[in-house]
Amino acid sequence: MHDAQILKSKQSDGVGLLQRFSLETLQIGALALAIVVFAIIVQLNFPVFLSLPNINVMIVNFLPEAIIALGMTIVIITAGIDLSVAGIYPFSAIIVGLLLLAGAPIPLAIIITLAAGAFIGAINAFISNTFRVHPFIATLAILLILRGVNIIITGGSPVSGFPEAFAIVGQRGIDFGTFLLRYSVFIWLALALLIGYLLRNHRFWRLSYFIGGNRRSARMSGVNVERYLYFVYMLSGALAAVAGVIVASQFNAASNSYGQNLELRVITAVVIGGADLNGGAGSVLGSMLGVLFIAMIYNAFAMSGISTYWQDVVVGAMLLASILMGEVLKRRRAN
Amino acid sequence: MTPVLEIRRASKSFGSHRVLHEVSFGVDAGEVHALVGENGAGKSTLMNIISGIHRRDAGEILLNGESIDPTDPWQARQLGISVVFQELSLTPNMTVAQNIFVRREPTSALGLVHWRQLNDDARALFERIGIDISPTELVGNYSVGIQQIIEIAKAISFDAKVLIMDEPTSALSESEVDRLFSIIAELKQQGVAIVFISHKLGEVLRIADRVSVLRDGEMVGVVNPSHSNQDEIIHMMVGRSLGDLYPAKGVVSDEILLEVEGLSHPPLFRDISFSLRRGEILGIAGLVGAGRTEVARAIFGADRYSRGSVKLAGIKLDLKSPRQAIEKGIVYLTEDRKVMGLFLSMTMRDNIVSSALARFTDALGLLKHRAIVNESLRAIKQNDIRPRDDLLSMTSLSGGNQQKSLLAKCLSANPKVLIADEPTRGVDVGAKVKIHQALRDLANRGIGVIVISSELPEVLGLSDRVVVFREGHVSAVLDGDNIAQADVMRYAVQ
Amino acid sequence: MRRSISLFDSFQRLRSSLALARLLQNRSVILALLILVISIALSVLTPAFLSSRNLTFVITGMTYDLLLALGMTIVLLLWGIDLSVGSVLGLTAVVTTMLLQDGASIPLAIGVGMGVSALCGATNGFFVAYLNIAPFIVTLGMMSVARGIATVLTSGYFVSGLPDAYKAIGQGRLFNVPYMVYFALVVVVILAFLLRNWRPLREAFYIGTNPEAARLAGIRVALITLGGYVFCSMMAGTAAIFMTSRLSMGFFQFGLGAELKAIAAAVIGGASLRGGTGSIFGATLAVFLLALINNGFVLLQGSPNAQNVIMGGILVIAIMIDAYRRRELAED
Repeated sequence: MHDAQILKSKQSDGVGLLQRFSLETLQIGALALAIVVFAIIVQLNFPVFLSLPNINVMIVNFLPEAIIALGMTIVIITAGIDLSVAGIYPFSAIIVGLLLLAGAPIPLAIIITLAAGAFIGAINAFISNTFRVHPFIATLAILLILRGVNIIITGGSPVSGFPEAFAIVGQRGIDFGTFLLRYSVFIWLALALLIGYLLRNHRFWRLSYFIGGNRRSARMSGVNVERYLYFVYMLSGALAAVAGVIVASQFNAASNSYGQNLELRVITAVVIGGADLNGGAGSVLGSMLGVLFIAMIYNAFAMSGISTYWQDVVVGAMLLASILMGEVLKRRRAN
Repeated sequence: MTPVLEIRRASKSFGSHRVLHEVSFGVDAGEVHALVGENGAGKSTLMNIISGIHRRDAGEILLNGESIDPTDPWQARQLGISVVFQELSLTPNMTVAQNIFVRREPTSALGLVHWRQLNDDARALFERIGIDISPTELVGNYSVGIQQIIEIAKAISFDAKVLIMDEPTSALSESEVDRLFSIIAELKQQGVAIVFISHKLGEVLRIADRVSVLRDGEMVGVVNPSHSNQDEIIHMMVGRSLGDLYPAKGVVSDEILLEVEGLSHPPLFRDISFSLRRGEILGIAGLVGAGRTEVARAIFGADRYSRGSVKLAGIKLDLKSPRQAIEKGIVYLTEDRKVMGLFLSMTMRDNIVSSALARFTDALGLLKHRAIVNESLRAIKQNDIRPRDDLLSMTSLSGGNQQKSLLAKCLSANPKVLIADEPTRGVDVGAKVKIHQALRDLANRGIGVIVISSELPEVLGLSDRVVVFREGHVSAVLDGDNIAQADVMRYAVQ
Repeated sequence: MRRSISLFDSFQRLRSSLALARLLQNRSVILALLILVISIALSVLTPAFLSSRNLTFVITGMTYDLLLALGMTIVLLLWGIDLSVGSVLGLTAVVTTMLLQDGASIPLAIGVGMGVSALCGATNGFFVAYLNIAPFIVTLGMMSVARGIATVLTSGYFVSGLPDAYKAIGQGRLFNVPYMVYFALVVVVILAFLLRNWRPLREAFYIGTNPEAARLAGIRVALITLGGYVFCSMMAGTAAIFMTSRLSMGFFQFGLGAELKAIAAAVIGGASLRGGTGSIFGATLAVFLLALINNGFVLLQGSPNAQNVIMGGILVIAIMIDAYRRRELAED
């Protein structure tokens, strides 16, 4: 037997669950378990909970969060954070709306809006890279500015009355009689599968784990970290814009009030989905499960008649609890 | 035969501090060329120059006879020079194979990674060097020793013609060292030129075909291990006179001030026992990583220890924080003044009184500014810190004056015991002499001083007694006026 | 010998006061000049600006922001950040006014309200100081929890019907200036004094500059950090008491977005996001400056909605100033 083998078997001697799986796997496992248990409990009390129409409602209500969480996952994997999505989301709904009202063709309006989202992401990366401030601060400033801009360009009242054809993005779908499966759900599914796949398998996308896990070593390996972060924040901004376009179509209106506390819900979903705020860990699957869990909680609150105001408390508490759990697991593993 | 890698008359200075002076060095294909020297002799700088981290001031680097000029380690690796640094470049959250081939994964035209191919490549690599590590395991699940081997595998995977290893065995267990050496033998067979940098002379003699000795930034000689022995190499490493750098020794009382008994915190240190007498300077010698700093921090309450006891003047201490240690009269001068010692953006005055604010506080918790000013001016005078303006920011001081301020900071807490960890690191000779004199003055005033230093002449020149650490335990306690450097080195390395 | 030291000493003191002047020049003087310029401009552009009604309005309005900015300055000084102050303000407002509505005595209601804010701060501080979790994440969680609880407690309704004696706290005036303005000024003076002279706050500078070195220097890093967060939250609680009594009601959305204003003011006033610096007078002037800009927008009939943009823009400028200063330090 090789020495290395001996050493390896020594390593695995008496390892528990904690060592056998990565932290991320453990957290996703715990989350999946929580989802199942929660679903069963709610289902026993409200038999309609797991019906297809209700599941459809859950998904549609949390579609923006789910799409934005895709970008946030990569941002957090690189040890960053993006608060500005909560500003880009209503901003792009408004922009696409205004463009349409001004008579722009639908594809052009959408493309300009997505580009604007990406551009704001580039500003985030620029501030954070150039002034060496934590992305938290940079994106906070941009969030603040966008909130103001959103009010100014709308004058505080919603923009509405878009061309009929625009409805296809967020309203139309396949009619199943009891519910309407919107095309926008497919947009989300396609994006999630594509980004999930790339993040697992593409050389360039995988660099995000390397940058988040050991930035110094990434630099030593010749990775242009700053340039990569431009990519990451631009992607995050563009995805927030996608969500904004969909929601504008869905409600046939765009308001500066969209996306209150959205950044918090998205970050919470990504973190309970196993992403590490210190970087290096996270997955699309985990984040999507995280969004699902939050969507289920909101839905169950709405059904149970408990004040929906509890939602924010629960989400905040979940964020803290999952950070605590991650911290505890990390320490237990280290011992 | 042309050497694969040749350095010609390379020089490098940091500011006014000369770290390398016209060093020439070469390594042939299939050869293990060891580079040895004391801490600070210039080994790491030489390596940093070769890998492009530092730019050389003068000299030439030749690879297969052609002049090269790498700008970073990645580029050096592309050229065929792979450096394995002491600090690992792996990330624990990725698998072994992902770590080794990051940015070089086998992919389709679209950039999608062929995972099976990747893992097979890793397996083939491991086979080539004769080890058995799972490519799909997370790196974080392996011990530091195995991670070191993975790091070496990564270095080789660049099709390295030259492999440079900096203290590769410092984190390895004995069987892992054997494993590493068989890998090195394997690579030698394959014609790789290997530079092996180490303190551990036993290992060096076992593996090296040639040994080059650096001292104070100069190459002092190349020896053939089969015609040499450790003593000869040690003499080459340390050979210089003590000169007048050191103050006269003092009179040590018999009264034991600090007694450390059986202090253990595996795997960092085990069974450490020694005592310090009033008025004594006790030197602690040993290699970097031998556990000296860890023991000092444990005594100071900065880190926990698992077993053993520390007694101050016969009374057992159970310190839970540095604050309690300072209250009891034990202070610690950190080895890394910028990271752990000083408050660089604050003023000299703020720094000098930082450990002693309790002394300058009234019953309401308000500070006595007048007393603080007096203390800082007194300390500046006593330690001869320049310039004598205690409102200057610490960043505007030279290294030597920063170090003197750090000493002043420790002293303003009125200690009974001072543990000085590398008290003269990175300072010029003038400041060194003054710091040495200050330490001796303290001892003469009845304070017990422990000096941890990687510079052997300093430990010997300054200390009344010397404790030698090796791999986390005390390997010798040497007493008397004429302790030979070679003796200390022998206890430290063997 | 003694004499020479004391001579030297007085020389040093002279230099020290000169250095202090130099220090003031950097930030506070610039802020004061800006305030002067804007004031003159506003009084020329609109006569309404100098009316005592408007000035009182400006000064009263900035009191809440000032209290929050003072707390934030201390937390930033400790190399932390507190995003929950706005929510804590809202929660304290709701708790205090609900107790009053239910007939609790004024001291009890205020006591419980302040207790709640202190508890929020202690929770933040515990996570940050003892569990070493990044402050912005901890306080982001608290931001949502505190706001959520405030919402749940009131179901989104206003809390009104407060006793007159309570309203007097915020509405009472001396020389036509509300009590709370005097209170805030007293806090400014005391805090500025303590920041210079009180050991735990002096130690905060060390902690923010280099936490590890501070620990090795025997400073109670965790305890003081915890205290900083408690203080910051209690400043938010104090602001809530004034706000509810002045407006005669409690509302769960009180303090929405206030954390960003507080951070911007503290940073413009001289605090660094990298810890170790902060100025009470600077923060005070910065709050005043922001209040003037705000007032100018209102008076000149500019869109009040532009405030957010201005605030965000100012925060970006503050970040740039901060980065520039850090670069200067690094080059030294």
